[in-house]
Amino acid sequence: MGKTQSMNFVKEVSQVLGGEGVNLCMQCGTCTASCPSAHIWEYTPSEIIAMVRAEMRDEVLSSSSMWCCLSCYSCTVRCPRDVEPTNLFHALESLAVKHGYKPKNTSTPVMYKNFVKSIKKNGRVSEFQMMMGYYMSTNPFAALGMISVAWNLLSHGRMPLSAKKIKGKKDLDKIIKKLNEVRGAQ
Amino acid sequence: MEEVRIGVYICDCGANIAGTVDTKKVTEYAQGLDSVVVARNYKYMCSDPGQNLIKDDIREKKLNRVVVASCSPRMHEPTFRRAVQDAGINQYYFQMANIREQCSWVHENKEMATEKAKALVEAAVHRVVFHEPLQTKEVAVNPNVMVVGGGIAGIQAALEIADAGKKVYLVEKEPSIGGHMAMFDKTFPTLDCAACILTPKMTTVGQHPNINLLSYSEVEEVSGFVGNFKAKIKRKARYVDETKCTGCGECSKVCPVHVDNEFDVGLSQRSAAYIQSPYAVPNKAVIDKKGNSPCRVACPAGVNAHAYVALISQGKFKEALEVVRKSIPLAGVVGRVCYHPCEGECERATVDEGLTIRDLKRFVADYEMKIGREKAGPAEITKEDRVAVVGSGPAGLACAFDLIKKGYRVTVFEKSEKAGGLMRYGIPNFKLPENIVDNEIEYIKELGVEIQTGTAVKDIARLFNQGYKAVFLGTGAGKNHKLGIPNEDNQNVFPALSFLYKINSGDKISIGDRVIVIGGGNMAVESARAAWRLGARDVTVVYRKSEAEIPASDSEVEEALNEGIKFKYSTAANEIIVRDGKVSGVKCISEEKGQQSAEFVLDADSVINAVGQEIDKTELPGEMAYSDLGYLQVDPITLESNISGVFAGGENVAGQLDVIASVAAGKAAAESIGRYLSGVDMREGRSDNMPRVSNIKKDKVKPKSRVAMPKLELSKRQGNYHEVDLGFDESTAIEEAKRCLNCAVCSECMLCEKACEADAIKHDMKEQTLEIEIGSIIVATGFQQFDPEVMYNYGYNRFDDVLTGLEFERLSNASGPTDGVVIKKNGEKPQSVAILHCVGSRDENYHKHCSRVCCMYSLKYSHLLREKLPDADIYQLYIDMRCPGSGYEEFYLRLQEEGVNFVRGRAAEVTNTAETPEEQGKLIVLCEDTLVRKKIRLPVDMVILSCALEPSEGSAQIGKVLSISKKADGFFLEKHPKLDPVSTMTDGIFIAGCCQGPKDIPDTVAQASAAAARALAMISMNKVEIEAATSEIIDELCSGCRICNTLCPYGAITFNEAKGISEINQVLCKGCGVCVSACPSNAIKGNHFTTKQLIAEIEGVLA
Repeated sequence: MGKTQSMNFVKEVSQVLGGEGVNLCMQCGTCTASCPSAHIWEYTPSEIIAMVRAEMRDEVLSSSSMWCCLSCYSCTVRCPRDVEPTNLFHALESLAVKHGYKPKNTSTPVMYKNFVKSIKKNGRVSEFQMMMGYYMSTNPFAALGMISVAWNLLSHGRMPLSAKKIKGKKDLDKIIKKLNEVRGAQ
Repeated sequence: MEEVRIGVYICDCGANIAGTVDTKKVTEYAQGLDSVVVARNYKYMCSDPGQNLIKDDIREKKLNRVVVASCSPRMHEPTFRRAVQDAGINQYYFQMANIREQCSWVHENKEMATEKAKALVEAAVHRVVFHEPLQTKEVAVNPNVMVVGGGIAGIQAALEIADAGKKVYLVEKEPSIGGHMAMFDKTFPTLDCAACILTPKMTTVGQHPNINLLSYSEVEEVSGFVGNFKAKIKRKARYVDETKCTGCGECSKVCPVHVDNEFDVGLSQRSAAYIQSPYAVPNKAVIDKKGNSPCRVACPAGVNAHAYVALISQGKFKEALEVVRKSIPLAGVVGRVCYHPCEGECERATVDEGLTIRDLKRFVADYEMKIGREKAGPAEITKEDRVAVVGSGPAGLACAFDLIKKGYRVTVFEKSEKAGGLMRYGIPNFKLPENIVDNEIEYIKELGVEIQTGTAVKDIARLFNQGYKAVFLGTGAGKNHKLGIPNEDNQNVFPALSFLYKINSGDKISIGDRVIVIGGGNMAVESARAAWRLGARDVTVVYRKSEAEIPASDSEVEEALNEGIKFKYSTAANEIIVRDGKVSGVKCISEEKGQQSAEFVLDADSVINAVGQEIDKTELPGEMAYSDLGYLQVDPITLESNISGVFAGGENVAGQLDVIASVAAGKAAAESIGRYLSGVDMREGRSDNMPRVSNIKKDKVKPKSRVAMPKLELSKRQGNYHEVDLGFDESTAIEEAKRCLNCAVCSECMLCEKACEADAIKHDMKEQTLEIEIGSIIVATGFQQFDPEVMYNYGYNRFDDVLTGLEFERLSNASGPTDGVVIKKNGEKPQSVAILHCVGSRDENYHKHCSRVCCMYSLKYSHLLREKLPDADIYQLYIDMRCPGSGYEEFYLRLQEEGVNFVRGRAAEVTNTAETPEEQGKLIVLCEDTLVRKKIRLPVDMVILSCALEPSEGSAQIGKVLSISKKADGFFLEKHPKLDPVSTMTDGIFIAGCCQGPKDIPDTVAQASAAAARALAMISMNKVEIEAATSEIIDELCSGCRICNTLCPYGAITFNEAKGISEINQVLCKGCGVCVSACPSNAIKGNHFTTKQLIAEIEGVLA
């Protein structure tokens, strides 16, 4: 960290959907103090915003911080400057993925990927397929610990093994296609 | 027409214009335009050399028109007009092209901006050709000034002007001047006591010969124009004669009403009659009277329930009873049997439960009996006429009572052995003990009313012959309705009236075990309960309609059910079955809705007929007229019967009535009789529309249920007629009375009137309107504190010890609710306090602005806390410390030295959910210490919210009245944010203090002095110049349609009846042009904005 830079990273973030508010932050810390998961963030929510403003691109994008965001939106509700931190953190996540950063100590990106994969395939989340995919690409042995939970869900009909597709799957495909176009254009 | 010779002057404005517009090119272009003799370009055209360029050209080149292309005319039009005038041509031969605000500042492309500048210049050149010479007018300035708002800003401005020898009207809406500053404890950074430095100024205002202090007043309307305003000022009714009041405060000591004290921001209570603060100016009491309380409005007999409840709440039981007796003599009776319409209207019901108003009235009556009643002195007989009242029921007694108080000699004739009518004979003792009735009749007798019992009166002529001048018939309805079914004349069938009469007279009756009562009114249920007490084991009330429709009161039915009385609803009695000459049962038919009717027999030993009463015509004088329903026919308002001088009311007119309704009828008759005997119109002003108070304050009331009436144990009720409702004791009565919301604030108990030795209390005072003439107005309406309740996460109003800044000011103030001791709600001293900055300020959700003073007053709080609680932990949770001002940064440093903990981070939440034992019972403030990037939880005993300053509630209204604009943040808009922060866009109206934006005391005082200086400058000039660009009517073209008359926003157009045309007052006209565009015959000319000029300008832009 520390190299003085032209203000490229702040600009980059502010142009990503959700990142527009990054320049408005006055570092009051309300987001951190409102965050139920702040204690596990590598850098606190307000700190990660400060780091963006300090052009610490690598440190920000490789950090696990924003991946800890639970989308409870408490910070967004309370932020006195309308920074919309929740959206900002998700913008940082998408930038990190786009640029191939692998955050340490978190498998949240893998979870997200499997979630989206399941949606793209069926139009809805299939818990079984999503979690299988997740454990396969992280730690298959961890799945063993979940067997009793899985059994309970199965026996109550809460987790069908085969996924049903939604009606109008083709329409959803169109929506996703359009979304990708829009994001690509950014 | 003389040759037009135009000079065009293009200003660079340094780089402001020249940076974006190629002024050289524009100048060249202008040079080539028609009639342009000379075009020049200069760096600063507004400078002296710039202006001299123009003046010299006018003289040397014989110019007769001038165009300057520079900034906005708002900025420099007056400058250039003056220059043109100085050089000898009319100032209206000048036109300004704005190539700065409307061109260079808003464009980036130099080439296009230059083209636009050319067009704007060309437009001005085209237009100026058609300009006409106009003459400005001068009007005299009224030297009086009105200052609106009596906080420190208003006080300062008023004193400056008054000290300069000019007259000031200082208008303040509160009862005292002083504003927020009077509420403060100390002032930063020097820590002078706010009161110590403010009160000398307040007193000076109060005594200054040049200041007319109009406190408790509001500006309602302002008309006129600079130098000549007229204002209408509403002087709210103070209910205290300011000229007599000595400020002794006795009224406030006796006042039984207590409401939140605004001066202590609700931390203490004040009475309805009060003096705002110990240092109030004027030091005069005011009575806070909002109207009539709902309970009082609801009472048919006009008993002032609010007043006696308020008096009870203060333990003034005797005075409370006096209030009841102002209206009715029967407190103990009505306090037991009234159907209490007052309770139905009680506003407290919208919070939790209405007050038990009736039981409170009963309490004061009982209390008097308990401690022993002083004999009532005979009422003074002031009239010669005598009045006869026939019947001593509630209507007759109420009528007699009111008449003797009016000074008439009254005789009551009662056919029974004892007075009291149905109160004595129709209501059983377990509801209304006889001694209560005795006591109240005795009281009426002591007043001088003569009661002749055992005297039936049927001959009215004889009464008149005996010398009675008027008669009231309060004979009631003493005859039982017939059931109209077979065998109802059997000896075991009792009409309810005679049944109760016997019971109340102590006669023995044998009714057997099983009793059926037919009917559903209170009398039916009372009869059933009486039968149960007599020994009947199986008592059933048979009622024709459904449970929901039963007319008996809920409490009556409930008590009956408790006693084991059964109810058969939707059941009609068809026949009384008699066997061997005795009743054996009642044949009934049940008619439940939607079900087949079924006939059945209820076994019974006796039956009580309680289906209602009718009047006994044989007991009434023969000449009376009757209505279709069989009752006496009287005038509905005056209650006069078909015989002049004979009045009637109560059950003989309306059928079965509640006691209070009969009392009301008796009172109405007494009023009529009084008027009749003194020859006054009996109808005038008698419509009963007492207005009910609205906007009742109840948002901060903590729910508390009504007090339950203690009852006689069920096991002790049989075989006797002991009263069931036992009544309240003193502490319960006070507790219940304290639940009153004091809807109308002042209850009109009139204790203050008695207490005031100066005779200053005037409860019938009306609000007045004062009209004043002034030349200028200074608005100093201040601010209000942001209400943090909307920020749920800070817990204000949810947690006891979360305070606003103003609350802390009062808590810390020696004249505050705790005499300056800082304590928690539970009385303990706080060991730790957190002060939260920027509450509602710098927040997109509430106020974007920084409130400027919070950092400093928060530091002050820290200091006060450190002084009062040397060992307490004090935290300041700030985002940025903003301490710009003389001695301010030094004060910050001092507080750091005093060991206050500064945490850089805005609090996100205040919670009482403890996570560790240390947090137990504390308020926990959640924030991030952003300097070490750590989320922290601060457990503290007290939280102070440094709340934003926002425009005061009334400022929108006063802004409308004065036609002055607001900024986006709601504060008043100044003419120029930097160069003219004390003026408004309306000439002659100035602003000072926090109404223009948040500021501290030094800045407020400075601005107030500046505003005063501006007003004084106008006065010393003695006259003001009026813009000549006004509209005028061309007489020959005006058709007199008057469309313009109503459209003019300044009221400048009037219709000349003699000439049949409209006329414009040139002094009032602002030249807005509304009338010009509306005139259907083009008869109005908007000077300096004529059609010709405007068309030429447009053509110039498009050329």
